[in-house]
Amino acid sequence: MKAMLLLEDGKTFAGESVGETGLRIGKVVLDTSIVGYQESLTNPANAGKLIVRTYPVVGSYGAAGKFDESPRIWAAGCIVKELSCTPSNWQSECSFPEYIQKHGGCVLHGIDTRTLAVHLRQRGELLGVIAAGSVSVKDMTAALDAFRKQTPGSALPDIASAPVNSVPAGRGQYKLGVIDIGLTKSLMEELRKMNSGLRVFAYNSSAADIAAQKLDGCIVSDGPEEDPGLEIVADTVKQLIGSIPVLGIGAGCLVVARALGAKTTRMKIGHRGVNYPVHCPGFLKGDMTIQNHGVCIDAVSLRRQKRVKISGYNLHDRTVEEFESKSLRAWGVQYIPVSYGPVPHPVFQRFLKSIARRR
Amino acid sequence: MPRRRDIKKIVILGSGPIVIGQACEFDYSGSQACKALREEGYTTVLVNSNPATIMTDPGMAHATYIEPLNVESVSRIIEKERPDAILPTLGGQTGLNLAFFLMKHGILKKFGVESLGASVAAIACAEDRLLFKRAMQQIGVNVPQSGIACTVQEGLKIGLSIGFPLILRPAYCLGGSGGAVVYNKEELEKALAKGIEISPVGQILVEESVMGWKEIEFEVMRDCADNVVVITSMENVDPLGVHTGDSMVVAPAQTLTKPEYDEFVFLCKKIIRRIGISGGGANVQFAQNPANGKIYVIEVNPRLSRSSALASKATGFPIARIATKLAVGLTLPEVINQVTGRTTAFFEPTVDYCVFKICRFTFEKFPAAERVLNTSMKAVGEAMAIGRNFREALQKGLRSIETGRFGLGADGKDVISDEALRQPDNMLIAAIKAKLSVPNDERIFYVRYALKAGMPVEEIHALSKIDRWFLDQIRQIVDMENSIREFRNAGIDDPVKLPADLLLRAKQDGFSDRQIAYLLHSKEERVREARKKQNEKAVYKLVDTCAGEHNAKKPYFYSTYESQDESRGTANRKVVILGGGPNRIGQGIEFDYCCCHAAYALKEEGIESVMVNCNPETVSTDYDTSDRLYFEPLTIEDILNIIEIEKPIGVIVQFGGQTPINLAVSLRKAGIPILGTSADSIDIAEDRKRFKDMLNKLGLSQPENDTAFTFDEAKEAARKIGYPVLVRPSYVLGGRAMEIVYDENVLERFIAEAAKVSGEHPILIDKFIDDAIEVDVDVIGDGSTFVVGGILEHIEEAGIHSGDSAMALPAFTISNAMLNKIREASCKMAKELDIVGLMNVQYAIKDEKLYVLEVNPRASRTVPFISKAIGVPLAKLATKVMLGRKLKDLGFTQEVVPPYVAIKESVFPFNRFSGVDVILGPEMKSTGEVMGIDKDFSKAFIKSQIAAGQNLPRKGNVFISVRDRDKRAVLMIVRKLSDMGFNIFATSGTAAALERTGIDVTVLPKLAEGRPNVLDLMKDGKIQLVINTPSGRIPRQDEVKIRSHVIMYNIPYTTTISGAQATVNGIETLIKKSLDVKPLQEYHKKLSKGSGARRAR
Repeated sequence: MKAMLLLEDGKTFAGESVGETGLRIGKVVLDTSIVGYQESLTNPANAGKLIVRTYPVVGSYGAAGKFDESPRIWAAGCIVKELSCTPSNWQSECSFPEYIQKHGGCVLHGIDTRTLAVHLRQRGELLGVIAAGSVSVKDMTAALDAFRKQTPGSALPDIASAPVNSVPAGRGQYKLGVIDIGLTKSLMEELRKMNSGLRVFAYNSSAADIAAQKLDGCIVSDGPEEDPGLEIVADTVKQLIGSIPVLGIGAGCLVVARALGAKTTRMKIGHRGVNYPVHCPGFLKGDMTIQNHGVCIDAVSLRRQKRVKISGYNLHDRTVEEFESKSLRAWGVQYIPVSYGPVPHPVFQRFLKSIARRR
Repeated sequence: MPRRRDIKKIVILGSGPIVIGQACEFDYSGSQACKALREEGYTTVLVNSNPATIMTDPGMAHATYIEPLNVESVSRIIEKERPDAILPTLGGQTGLNLAFFLMKHGILKKFGVESLGASVAAIACAEDRLLFKRAMQQIGVNVPQSGIACTVQEGLKIGLSIGFPLILRPAYCLGGSGGAVVYNKEELEKALAKGIEISPVGQILVEESVMGWKEIEFEVMRDCADNVVVITSMENVDPLGVHTGDSMVVAPAQTLTKPEYDEFVFLCKKIIRRIGISGGGANVQFAQNPANGKIYVIEVNPRLSRSSALASKATGFPIARIATKLAVGLTLPEVINQVTGRTTAFFEPTVDYCVFKICRFTFEKFPAAERVLNTSMKAVGEAMAIGRNFREALQKGLRSIETGRFGLGADGKDVISDEALRQPDNMLIAAIKAKLSVPNDERIFYVRYALKAGMPVEEIHALSKIDRWFLDQIRQIVDMENSIREFRNAGIDDPVKLPADLLLRAKQDGFSDRQIAYLLHSKEERVREARKKQNEKAVYKLVDTCAGEHNAKKPYFYSTYESQDESRGTANRKVVILGGGPNRIGQGIEFDYCCCHAAYALKEEGIESVMVNCNPETVSTDYDTSDRLYFEPLTIEDILNIIEIEKPIGVIVQFGGQTPINLAVSLRKAGIPILGTSADSIDIAEDRKRFKDMLNKLGLSQPENDTAFTFDEAKEAARKIGYPVLVRPSYVLGGRAMEIVYDENVLERFIAEAAKVSGEHPILIDKFIDDAIEVDVDVIGDGSTFVVGGILEHIEEAGIHSGDSAMALPAFTISNAMLNKIREASCKMAKELDIVGLMNVQYAIKDEKLYVLEVNPRASRTVPFISKAIGVPLAKLATKVMLGRKLKDLGFTQEVVPPYVAIKESVFPFNRFSGVDVILGPEMKSTGEVMGIDKDFSKAFIKSQIAAGQNLPRKGNVFISVRDRDKRAVLMIVRKLSDMGFNIFATSGTAAALERTGIDVTVLPKLAEGRPNVLDLMKDGKIQLVINTPSGRIPRQDEVKIRSHVIMYNIPYTTTISGAQATVNGIETLIKKSLDVKPLQEYHKKLSKGSGARRAR
């Protein structure tokens, strides 16, 4: 079906859409990774976003239930150059368009995504609306205006109602808590590699409830980074810091930073992809990281926190990507520390080590 | 970490002549390495025997040795230069093997030289099959079941225990040479014997076959601080079974899921750490079972490779430059990627386009070779195309390889007609099936035929094992073809009726105007007009390593059909340089060298250079060679699109070989100014009639000749001229379909072939002058001054293609009077043709009479060789005169005759095409060249032979078998060999002639008459040199067998008397004194200080 993307600066891109036909409104963001389209749509951190995939051919290996990061599609939509309808991979259960239709997603295709990407790079991330069929630009503009005026709702209650992992992992060397503000399947798998008992808490669990579990450490997961509900979580975390080791990941990193008193700020254009180098001054070895954030920690405000040290910057734009406070036993990584293979990502190895040292 | 300060001087090893499996990608990598090391303040010493490279330009390294790449000569260089380190990872397998053998001989240790980039241990771990397998098993990476054999018996035992089919890979062999797939015991036995023979270490891997699996490659880099980056993934369109160098490749991989991709990356990192590369790059090849995702690692190359050149060009990540910096201790975060100017090398490129690589084959040069692809590489070149989807990239790729096609069929050149495919009979279906199931260079076209004949994708997949996704993409192209055809015109001049949206979709699927015109029964120009009317213009997007995330500083461009153009045209004066496209026999690195020089000259003159080329191996397609680079096919449509955007003051067509010359007429028609010699002069040189008139006017002679369009005309002409005659098509390069014809029957066959090659151009028939001396002359002119660049005397007699002949500079047997005659004639012709730029003339000399054979008003393949020999950058000067400068002002007004000798020898791909006879003729067969340089002829000659891979003996047995008319001439040669202590073996006829003069000869039986015959002796390593001249045009079977054994066992040989003469003189020199090494810079110092040569630089 003919469809169109309208950006809040008035620029339009015409293409065709597959899936849900209603208006899809959200922040238009760039994802530069080549594979992982299904994973990105089902990642709760992308709730309400319109994701532009810069790689022009999407869907070539199809879709399968096992690639879901959570039980549903969270992204408002996906914008691509070319949708591949005849997939080829032994794991594929259906084509990507079929998957979209089945799961209530929306893909806008036939778009000059390169031009869109360059436009966003120059203008910064913008709100946009996708409309299928014959919706006028005027109506779309009106819908965008209305969306901008309304107080943004929180996706956290929805996320809590569809947890990725209903069965908590049993026992192990340590007892760890995870505050789920958008836990993904792959992050959960990574956590399991730590060989510890995992207890998952909903975003609105109270600090007292969490403390009552006598945890060895607590991890705040990734999630939607601009969600208004994160304030509550930051309050909770603030109460936990100092009593147990805390590690924030992705949006969880922003939460921990705020709990420590730092400010966060919106970036002109986010880091969304698999090729972000993180570098610690004074060290020769850095990390190539997976990132998905358009909000970052304000470095000045973080440096003001005396007991906190910035331990990793983006090598190219100097964004804060990692911090630590040994005395408060609080850590944050802005990237997503998942890795292939049986060994937990170094971030978790370090976290475990710091727990061990204290016990 | 800053660069290492404990190292001051570094030797860089080049890769030698262009051969199948090792082409100009190592000029690209070596040049980047030289530049990177100089930037860091190191003293650089370069060794490469290939003069046609940019890296051997005297300014690239501090000392440039054009010397053979063997242990002996490199040891001497090390002894003389006393470097701290050697960098072997940028010179291909040749460089790597050489470093390994330098270590084995204790040379590195003796002179305290460290191996940079890859330690000797790392090289061994990746190259030694057993060590590699053990290392991989240690880190839990799967490898195919295999065993290593040093004897046929061992191999059989291993093979039978694994089960068929099996893949055999000899150790330390480049480009998979000697590799084979075997299906039964007999084949296994045969392949084992061959493989063990050709492996320099006598080892062969017998391996479980993973034929039909997906072949996936990754490029990985690691620095000394253990930072690792993955540059790109690549997926072979042809599944395993075809050598990756022959396969069509797409980047990034198209059919991998995220978890699969992550697993590959995980394995790559593990592997590069285990191999122990700690300052460089590696290429990792995997096989993946398409049915269950199981992964095997197949091979790791701990060096820069053809794939890394492709990965580099495909992503805008200068791998060679960065690898060099890592080799001297810098870390990835410290090296800036100049393409983005904003990111460091600690960044994994991501792309927003699809890259397609396709190979160029030259089976037409070797009609006796089987036209199939397997694990031994056969491609001589490749082209890379970029599109916004696979279909666009595929079709652009197919027109980039310049096989006369304009996309995936539908261009009027399909060998199976649409009518036949509409109702295919069983025979046709069977033929198509055969072409699908056995890999070959035309398979992609047969996929189209199969689809058009109604064969389902599933069946095509079952036959070819090509992934369904690729097949489905081709199906979409065929569907589009059918949609276009619905708007077919009745008359060829009717207006184009194709609707705008369909036209746009066709262009987005990569259809060329030519294809659309064919489908619409229209003309290319009309489609172009229709496109312009509907404002469907090509736009240019960037190769920027980051998918648009950063505003790249020095990106390059590709065309597509989208909404917004990102080209960065300027208002400055600029010139478009047309490159040479994919390497092929007859058009190789020499032309790329010239194109690069054109770009350098433009920079010196303050004019912007715009390069158009599609060859990912070259220096010309490096991001920093020109001001702007367009990675595009070299067809008139694609070039006009660029010219419309760039609006240059002119186009240079002289340097890219025949490719741009063939476009000159169309460009002139389109009103595009061509710099230098006019298109009309080009036409005079190419048009026999006009050329003859010119020679008559100038009082020069040429062999009697005529032109013909039909066989009858040709027959009449040949009768008039008298046999033997030389027949050839006009407007071709490399002597394609050229042949010396002795009678009418043969003539008929060749006319048919020549007509196919020549198209609408006529066929040329010349009197063939037997036993003449052939001469090549390059001339540079500015319209008023004309200077001879060099007079090259061929060592072989006339009749052998000038690209295959050995040549010497200065001439060595020609009288001064004749040389002056040559100079005068050359300058006269240059003046008459009003040459502005370069011109090449070929002459034959017989009985002190001079015949003009041909004139090429463009840079020839000898230009880089002469430039190196005389120390004058001819191509650069030629560019400047094309821009209006005068030779007088540039300081080059006098021919430079060097007081030393430079010899060019050719290198042949015979070992890749079993069953092909090795004799030389008027059709060019060589892939590359080497230069031998020394103070006298015999030393220079012997160096050229050694550099070309002829392992000339100092003692041992020589086998002689010559045709009757050579028996007199061979006597002196054999006498000399005998005096030097060689034992002489011959067949009865030759032996009789030799014995009569009192030479001791061991007579060997004819092959059919008894054993041990010469073949047995060769197998046993008892023959060290073979002199064998062919008996006639149709050689005797015995001879062919002898010559094919020579290739199989790598025995030095010569097939001409003049070649034998020079070889024997060379051996004499070799015995008497050892060979010295001297850098080019020192030779150039010998050129008289006041001569033009010095000033011109």
